[in-house]
Amino acid sequence: MAVEHPPAAAPGDQTRIHNIGYRSYDGPRLGRSYATRSLYSQSLRGAYGLGRSIKSKVLPMLLFAVMCVPAAIMVAVAVATKAHALPVAYTRYAIIMQSVICLYVASQAPQSVSRDLRFKTVPLYFSRPIETADYVRAKYAALASAMFILTAAPLVVLYVGALLAKLDFADQTKGFAEGLVSVALLSLLFAGIGLVIASVTPRRGFGIAAVIAVLIVSYGAVSTLQAIAYNQGSTSAIPWIGLFSPVTLIDGVQSAFLGATPALPGGHGPSTGQGVVYVLLTLGLIAAAYGLLLRRYKKVGL
Amino acid sequence: MYDPTVARLTYRALLGRRRALILGALPLLLIAISVVVRALAGADDQTASDLLGKLALATMVPLIGVIAGTGAIGPEIDDGSVVYLLSKPLKRPTIIFTKLIVAVAVTMVFSALPTLIAGFILNGNGQQIAVAYTVAALVSSIAYAALFLLLGTVSRHAVVFGLVYALVWEALFGSLVPGARTLSVQQWSLAVAHKVAGGDLVTSDVGLTTATVFLVAVTVLATWYAGQKLRTLTLAGEE
Amino acid sequence: MTTLQIDHVSRWFGNVVAVNDITMTIGPGVTGLLGPNGAGKSTLINMMAGFLAPSTGTVTLDGQQVWRNEAIYKHIGIVPEREAMYDFLTGREFVVANAELHGLGDKAAQRALATVEMEYAQDRKISTYSKGMRQRVKMASALVHDPSLLLLDEPFNGMDPRQRMQLMDLLRRMGNEGRTVLFSSHILEEVEQLAWHIEVVVAGRHAASGDFRKIRRLMTDRPHRYLVRSSDDRALAAALIADPSTSGIEVDLAEGALRIQAVDFGRFTALLPRVARDHGIRLLTVSPSDESLESVFSYLVAA
Repeated sequence: MAVEHPPAAAPGDQTRIHNIGYRSYDGPRLGRSYATRSLYSQSLRGAYGLGRSIKSKVLPMLLFAVMCVPAAIMVAVAVATKAHALPVAYTRYAIIMQSVICLYVASQAPQSVSRDLRFKTVPLYFSRPIETADYVRAKYAALASAMFILTAAPLVVLYVGALLAKLDFADQTKGFAEGLVSVALLSLLFAGIGLVIASVTPRRGFGIAAVIAVLIVSYGAVSTLQAIAYNQGSTSAIPWIGLFSPVTLIDGVQSAFLGATPALPGGHGPSTGQGVVYVLLTLGLIAAAYGLLLRRYKKVGL
Repeated sequence: MYDPTVARLTYRALLGRRRALILGALPLLLIAISVVVRALAGADDQTASDLLGKLALATMVPLIGVIAGTGAIGPEIDDGSVVYLLSKPLKRPTIIFTKLIVAVAVTMVFSALPTLIAGFILNGNGQQIAVAYTVAALVSSIAYAALFLLLGTVSRHAVVFGLVYALVWEALFGSLVPGARTLSVQQWSLAVAHKVAGGDLVTSDVGLTTATVFLVAVTVLATWYAGQKLRTLTLAGEE
Repeated sequence: MTTLQIDHVSRWFGNVVAVNDITMTIGPGVTGLLGPNGAGKSTLINMMAGFLAPSTGTVTLDGQQVWRNEAIYKHIGIVPEREAMYDFLTGREFVVANAELHGLGDKAAQRALATVEMEYAQDRKISTYSKGMRQRVKMASALVHDPSLLLLDEPFNGMDPRQRMQLMDLLRRMGNEGRTVLFSSHILEEVEQLAWHIEVVVAGRHAASGDFRKIRRLMTDRPHRYLVRSSDDRALAAALIADPSTSGIEVDLAEGALRIQAVDFGRFTALLPRVARDHGIRLLTVSPSDESLESVFSYLVAA
C-alpha cells in the first residue's frame, strides 16, 4: 500500500500540513449496561411498533385495544348498573383473552429476534461490549415487559373502574394484586416460549406460524382431553392434564395459590400439592427457555 | 397435466429433513394421546368421536394441510428457485396440478392415515367412527391442499394466513357465527363422514349435497386460479 | 431463432418508471447490457425472459411474443441472478432435472456439465458449492437444451478471476457459434473484454448502443483527450494551443507527457503530425485517453 508522506518541514519552519482526517473519539463511553438497557428499551418499543414503520404499529396497537376495550365496557356496565362486583375476576380476564395474547406473542416474538437472524446482524451485536447473556436478557425482558403491559393494562382499567364504582377497596386491591402476579408469570412464560420458538428460524412468517401452532395445538389437545376426562368421570386426571399447555399451566397456578376459580370443566382446580407442581413447572419452563436462548445465541452468528 | 420431474422436485423439497420432522410430529402426538386415552379411559365411542373430531379433524388435518400446501410452492417462490420451473416449456397449470397432487398425497398420508390408526386404537372402529373420520380427513385433505397451494402462490405470508384460517376462523368464527359454518371445509368433510358413519355421533351443520358441491367447487376453482396466477407471476428481485 | 426485438418497451411500478421507452435489437454474438445499479437492467432482462410483462411495447424473439408463451423457452436459456437453487439436490441431479423438464435426458445433462467443467463435483449437494460453482451449474442448466438465446443476469458476480476467464471463454464460444448471448453487468472491464456490441441503459433510458469506440466518436460535444509524449513537450504544447482545435493542454510532470483536450477531432488529428514536423519534434506516444469504455460510460451517465 503506497502511503504518501508529506515532505518533512525544516525545523523552526511555520509551514505544516495539518492532519484533519481521522479524529478519534475522546468522549465518555457508556459501557455494557448502557448498551444492554438500550437494547431492552429498543426491543420493548419495537414490540409496540414504536420506532418502526406505520404498518408494524397496526397489529400490536390493535391487539392492545382489543385487550382493553372489553375491560372498559365491563367497567362502564358495572358503574351504570351499580353492581356489587365486576362481572369477571381479575385473574380470569387473561384466560378469557388468551387468543389475543397468543396472537400478540406470535407476532412480536419473531419480530424481535428473527430479523437479526435473517439479515445476519447478530455478529454486529456481539462485536460490541454486550455479551450473549446480555442480549438474551434484554430481549427476554423486553418481550416479557411488553406482554406485561398488554395483560396488566386491562387489569388497571378494571381496578380504577371498580374504585370508581365504589366497590370494596380491600377486596378489589387484593384481587388486583393477585391478577398482577398471575399476568406477570404469564408474561414471562409466554415470552420465553415465544422467543425460543422464534429464535430457531430466521424466517419471520415461519416463526409466527410455529408459535401459533404450538400454543393452539397444546391448548386444543389439553382442553379436549380434559373434556373427555370430565365426561368419563375421571376428574382427578384433569389437573394433571392441565400441565401440558401454557395457558392451563397459568390457570392452574392461579387457582391453586391466587384464589382464582379454575377455567376447567367441572371447576376442579389443582390441590395445593398439585399447585406446587404447577408452580415448579412454570418456573422450570421459564428457566429452560432462558437457558435454551443462551445456548442458541452462543452458536449463532458464527 | 402431470409432470414427474416437477413432482419429484416438489416431493423432495416438501419432505426435506426439517419439514418431515414437523409433519411427523403432529400425527405422532395424535397417536400418543389416543394410546393414553385408551389406556386410561377404555374404549368409548363418544370419546373417540370427540377426540377425532376436535383434535384430528379440526386441528391436525388443517395444520398438515397448511404445511404441505404452502410448502409445495411457497419457499420456491420466496427464494426465487421457481424460475427453474417457469423457464421451461411447461404449462403453468401443469406445474400447479402436479404440485397439488403431491401436496394432497402428503397431507393424506400424514393426516388421514394417523386418524385411521388413532381411531382404531380408540375404539376399534366401533360405529364406523374411525373410518368415517378418516374419510373426512381424506376429503378435507384435498380441499385444504388446494386452498393453501393457491394461498402459497398468491401471498408471501401464506403460512400465517393459512394458519389463521385453519385454526382461528374455523374454531372461533365457526362457533360464534352459525352462518360461517356453511363456509367451513371442516363442516363439509363432516357431512361426508356423517354419511359414512350413519348414526348421531358424527354430525355436520351442512347437508351432503351442499358439502360435496362446495368441496369440488373450492378445489377446482382454487387450482384453476393458482394456475392462472402462476402464468403472470412476477419474480421479485433480491430484497 | 436468434434475433430478440425489443420495441418501445416501458415498464413502470406504480410511480416509478424502471424502463423508459427502450427499443433495441439483439442479434447473434455477445452483447453486453451495461448500466449503473438501478438503471433497469434486471427489469429489462426479466422482460426479455418473459418473467415480467412490459407496461407498453412488445418483446419478441424472431417474431414470437415472449410473455405468456411457454413454448418459447425451448429456445431461451436463462441464468438468473439470484443464488437460490434446489440446494438439496446434487449438481448432476439438478441439471438432469432441468434436462427432463425440457424433455431431454441424462446425456444432454452430462454434455452440459462437461461444457462448464463441473463433472468433478457433480455428485455433491449444491448446498456445499462455492459461488463460482453455483454459477457454473446454473450455466449448465441454461445450456442443457442447446438454446439459441442465452440471457445472463450479472453472471460474473462473485467469481474469482480464473472462473471469470473460463466463463468468458465459454460465452465467446457460444457467440462464435452463432447464438445470441446477452449479459448484463455494471463492471466495465468485463463488458470491455467480452462484448462485441454494448447496450447502455441509464436510469431506464437507452443511452447508446454499438461498439464503444464508435460511440465515443459519435460524441462530438465532448472534448477528446489524448496522451502525448514527445521529445519536447513544452514546445509542442505551445504550438498546439495556438490552434483553435485544442481547448486545453496540461503538462503532466509525473507522467512526463502532455494531456491534450481536443474539441475538433478531425482537425486535431491532421494538426498534430504537421505541427510536430514543422517544429522538429519527435512524437513518441500518441494515445487517446478517453476511448476506454469507462470514460464513454461516464460521459453517458453524466449526460
